[in-house]
Amino acid sequence: MSLNPQNVCAAIQAAREQAIVVCTMSAMNAFDAAGPFPALTLSSVPLMGGAASIALGIALARPDRTVIVLDGDSSLLMELGGLANIAGSHPRNLHHFVYANRVQFNGNFCLDLPDRGRADFAGLARAAGYASAETWSDAADLAKLPASLKREGPCFIQLDMPATPSRLSAANPGPEMTDLRFTRMGDEARAVRAAIAPAR
Amino acid sequence: MNRPDLAYSVSAVEILKAYRQAGIDWVVTVPDLLQLAVHDRLSRGDSGLGYTACSNENQALQTAAGLWIGGHRPVVIMQNQGFYNCMNALRALGLDAGLPLLMAVGQFGREFSNLGHDPRTSRRKMVSLLEPTMDAFEMPYFRLESPADLPNVARAVSSAFDRPGPAALLIGHYTGWE
Repeated sequence: MSLNPQNVCAAIQAAREQAIVVCTMSAMNAFDAAGPFPALTLSSVPLMGGAASIALGIALARPDRTVIVLDGDSSLLMELGGLANIAGSHPRNLHHFVYANRVQFNGNFCLDLPDRGRADFAGLARAAGYASAETWSDAADLAKLPASLKREGPCFIQLDMPATPSRLSAANPGPEMTDLRFTRMGDEARAVRAAIAPAR
Repeated sequence: MNRPDLAYSVSAVEILKAYRQAGIDWVVTVPDLLQLAVHDRLSRGDSGLGYTACSNENQALQTAAGLWIGGHRPVVIMQNQGFYNCMNALRALGLDAGLPLLMAVGQFGREFSNLGHDPRTSRRKMVSLLEPTMDAFEMPYFRLESPADLPNVARAVSSAFDRPGPAALLIGHYTGWE
């Protein structure tokens, strides 16, 4: 069975314990569809490319907490220099997962990535200086998640998965963006801060 | 050294001291030529401030937001052309999300003949457009044009963290090495 946004998010939820999760795009949509948005979770939206660096800041601020970032391959390409920032700061508590579905706007209207599927994201993270980098491509790999989260970071895992079919078309044009899409990041950030920031 | 322009320099040591006194505890950086003396002090590791270097200004603002979520009060160092590079992150994190984002922005490229005058009258677009651009973002900014402006450091910190929202300290000339 292949990986998909839903089975990855379910596995993360089962294994995360008190970890802080920063998500974006497909991962955020999967969490939204699964039910109440989980606690200690923050969406980088509408801010493609922002998740990994937000997670870096949290990981540096709270080295005692596990921090998980659920990134997209298109998002990562927008801020590829963030790999070097993470490698340079080397937070041992940061675990960087990338949904490698090889498209932009996954599930809405799938557009090819500029690399045309050639980029080796785990290889890029390894070359940047992450403590470890590997690729998972089968749902059975998710059984490795609890042990993986115990490893010393920064760890990078490329999650190869098929793209979700496009739902937008001439017959189903794009929807209006809700106000929530623009306010939720701040609300979720304040909620996470209230839960984890030491009292000053 | 006969450099009359250096009368407009503000000491890096004094800037870092003002940050600490205002409750800043972390500095996120992208290189700024005007703040080289600040970079130098930070790289020595004895500033009493956390220090994280980033590859570009979007990432720096995002990292600063994460640091704030984790309980810190960071300032982001960048230069004016870097500010123009990070408008979307500023819009998302500072305006839509309403998170505190303090930026210390160097006025790179400013002609010396403009020192002591309104930076909006600089003949360099990179300098003259900075404040009008921040006006468009409806964000407060505070000039650091000479040592007499040091109290503006605390004003900028308060503006960012007490509102909260984005605010900038505009570094008008090379920071001092002494």
